[in-house]
Amino acid sequence: MRPRVFVTGVGIISAIGNGTEETLNAFQNLKSGIGKLSLFESVHSGIPVAEVKFTNSELALLAGVNDSTDKFTRNTLLALLASGQASADSGWTDTAEKYTGVVMATTVGGMDFNEQYYKSLLENDRHKDLIGVLDSADCTEKVAVHFGIRHHVTTISTACSSSANAIMLGARLIRNNQLERVLVGGTDALTRFTLNGFNALEILSPTGCRPFDINRNGLTLGEGSAALVLESEEVADPRRIICEVSGYANVNEAFHATASTVDGFGAIMAMDKALSSASLKASEISYINAHGTGTEINDLSEGNAIASIFGNAIPAFSSTKAFTGHTLGAAGAVEAVFSVLALRRQILLPGLNFKESMPDINLQPQLQIKSFPVKHVMSNSFGFGGSNTTLIFSKV
Amino acid sequence: MKAIIKASSVISPQHTHSAEGFPSVINEVISDRLTCLEPDYRNLINPIQLRRMPRILKMGLAASQLCISRAGGVDPDAIIVGTGLGCLDNLEKFLLEVIDNQERITSVLPFINSTHNAVAAQVAMLLKNHNYNITYCHRAFSFESALQDALMQIEEKQAQHVLVGGIDECTHDYVKLHGYLGYWKKPLSNLQLLGSGSSGTIAGEGASFFMVSGQPDKDVTGIILQGIHTFLTPQVSDLDSIEHEITWFLRKCRTELQDIDGVLLGLNGDNHFDQAYYALQKGFFPDQTIYMGYKHLCGEYYTATAFALWLGFVTLKSQQIPDAVNLTRIPDKPVKNLLLYNNFRNTEHSLILLKNGAL
Repeated sequence: MRPRVFVTGVGIISAIGNGTEETLNAFQNLKSGIGKLSLFESVHSGIPVAEVKFTNSELALLAGVNDSTDKFTRNTLLALLASGQASADSGWTDTAEKYTGVVMATTVGGMDFNEQYYKSLLENDRHKDLIGVLDSADCTEKVAVHFGIRHHVTTISTACSSSANAIMLGARLIRNNQLERVLVGGTDALTRFTLNGFNALEILSPTGCRPFDINRNGLTLGEGSAALVLESEEVADPRRIICEVSGYANVNEAFHATASTVDGFGAIMAMDKALSSASLKASEISYINAHGTGTEINDLSEGNAIASIFGNAIPAFSSTKAFTGHTLGAAGAVEAVFSVLALRRQILLPGLNFKESMPDINLQPQLQIKSFPVKHVMSNSFGFGGSNTTLIFSKV
Repeated sequence: MKAIIKASSVISPQHTHSAEGFPSVINEVISDRLTCLEPDYRNLINPIQLRRMPRILKMGLAASQLCISRAGGVDPDAIIVGTGLGCLDNLEKFLLEVIDNQERITSVLPFINSTHNAVAAQVAMLLKNHNYNITYCHRAFSFESALQDALMQIEEKQAQHVLVGGIDECTHDYVKLHGYLGYWKKPLSNLQLLGSGSSGTIAGEGASFFMVSGQPDKDVTGIILQGIHTFLTPQVSDLDSIEHEITWFLRKCRTELQDIDGVLLGLNGDNHFDQAYYALQKGFFPDQTIYMGYKHLCGEYYTATAFALWLGFVTLKSQQIPDAVNLTRIPDKPVKNLLLYNNFRNTEHSLILLKNGAL
C-alpha cells in the first residue's frame, strides 16, 4: 500500500516577508520585494534584486541560534528560519514521535562565506573554522541537527528546479514507506557569484522582471528559503492537514545547458507526466504557479507549453517571481508554499509588472489576489541542464 | 526494495577503466593525494566537445559511456548522480574571477559548468535522454542517496534500468583548505596507508557508474543490491548506536549477521576514525568474517563508497578476494553476502548490502 502524502505545515522567508502572514499581505497589496542591492558591494549594484531585509546577525537572532559559537552561512540561517516555521505550523513537538527525514536543496551553499574568506583561506588558516560550512550539505545538516533527525538526511542540487525535486523526493520517500514524516525545502542566499554568473549570461533584467509580458527583459535574482512538512496519511493529524501532494514529475529536456526549447517540449513533458501521476485532467487544474522567470526564452517556452497542455481553457496562472525575484534553488519550495497557501486560503495569487501579452499566445496572467474555489494547483520549476519538474497540490 | 547490478565502470587512481574486473597491477603513489588514471577520452567523447570540457565532466561522461556499453547499450530510464563537491574546479575558477578579478568575467562557461548537476545533465544531453534526472550533493551521503533513489525508481516501476554514478574530483584548493583541518597525512606510499596509526588520510577522487536494474523475470541471478541505509551521528558516534543501526538494517534486509561473509570497511588510515571499525571487528562481527579495505587504492573522498561498491561487485562476480584489499588471513571461502560500512569522520555513516544470488 502506498500511503497518500499530506502537507501539514509550511514556512517561508523571502524578499516579501518573514512568514506566511507578511507574505500574503504583500500579495494583497501588490508590494514587490524587488529593490536596490544593499547586501554586498558589486560593480553591478545598479541591477535590481529581491533581498531578504535582514542582516545575518538579525537572521541568527530570529532563528534562535548563537552565531558567535557556531558558524552559520546566510544560506543555512534562511533554511533554519523556514524549517522552524514549517515545523511549528505542523504542530511538530517531538521528532522521535514519527520516523522523520529531511531533504533540502540549494545551488550556492555557503557561497557568501566563500566570497568573503576564500582569498584569505588560500593564504593562511586564520578562518579555517569556516571551511566545513562552505558546501551545499551544510544547510541540511544544521537543520537535521536542530531537529534531531538522523535518517534520510540528504541534499539535492539541480539548479533552479532543486527544491521542487526535494519536495518530490520527500513525497516519494513517504509513498515508498521509507519515512512517516519529512521536512523538505530549499534555500539560496543572494551572492556576487550568481549575480555575476547570470549577468554574464546577459539574462538579468535592468528594471525588475516582467513575467509573460511582451516587453519582458530578463530575470531578477532573489533570495530566501521555504520549507514544508510532509506526512503520511497514516500518521498525519487530520486537523493539521492543509492539502495533498497529489502529483509530480521530473523530466529532462536534454536540449541545451542553459536554455529551453521554444515549443517548451520539456515543460510539456513535465506538466503532462505530473497530471497523469495525479490522475487529473488538465481542465481540473484551478491555478498554475508558473516558473515565469521573465527571460525572453523561458516565458515563451513555458507559455507555449501551457497553451499546448491547456488549449483554449487556460486556468488562472501567474509568476510570483515579480514579487520574490528568482530564488534559484529555493524557488521550487517558495512557489510550492505559495501553491499551498492558494489552497489553504482559497485564493489565486497575482503576478506583477504585466501590461501586454506575448504575440501569438494570448496569455493573461492573474494580476490581483482573488477568492476562488481552488481544488488543484500546478507548480512548475525549470532549471539549467534541462531539469524540468512539475508538482501538483490538491485540496483534501 | 532491491535490484541487480548489471554493469559497472570506474575511473580511479588504479588501472580500472579499461576492464570491469580487478586490475592485475596496483598503482603505488607517494603523495598526500591520489589522482585518477584517466582513459584516452578521444575514444569516448566527441573531440570537438572535449576541447573546452572540464575534467570532471570528461571523467563523468567517459565513465557513464563505458558503463552503458558494458550493460549492452541500454538507454537508462533514469540518470542519478551523487557528488559531494560537484564541479568544484569550475566553481573555484568562477569564484576567483568574481572576488579576485573585480567581477571582470572573462568567460561565463565556468559558471555554467559549476552547477552541481552538470554531469547528469550532460550525460542526458549526450544520450538525448528525457527521463528522470537528478543530482545529490550531501557529503558522504551523496552516492548513497543516488542509489536509494534508484531502488525507489525501480520499486515504483518508473524505471527498469537506472544509471547511477558517484563522482568527485580532488582539486588543489580542496586539498589545501582541508589540510588546515588535519584531513591529510604527510606524503606517504598509499600502500602504507591502512594501519599507519597516525592522524590524517590520503585525498582521493573517482568517477564510478553502475547500471542498476529491476527485472520482470524474478528468476534472474547475479549481483544483487539488497539495500542501503544511512545515518547521521553529528555529535557523538558511540559504538552502541552504530551496532544498533547495522542490526536494524540487516533485519530490514532479512539477513542474519552470521550470513555476512565479508565486510568492506571504509578504513582510511586516520587513527581518530578507524577505531570504530576496529571495535566492530573485535566485538560485533562473527569471527570468520573476511574484512576488506580499499581507500589505500582510491583515497578518501565523499563518494569513495562508489569505488567500494565496484570492488564488492567484482569480488562477488569473480569469487576472488584480491590480495591488495584482503585484510584477513582467512582461507578463501565462497562469498555470498557482502556488507559495505563507511564511517565518514564519525558523522555520516552508510551501509550497503550486496548478495550473489537470485533477485
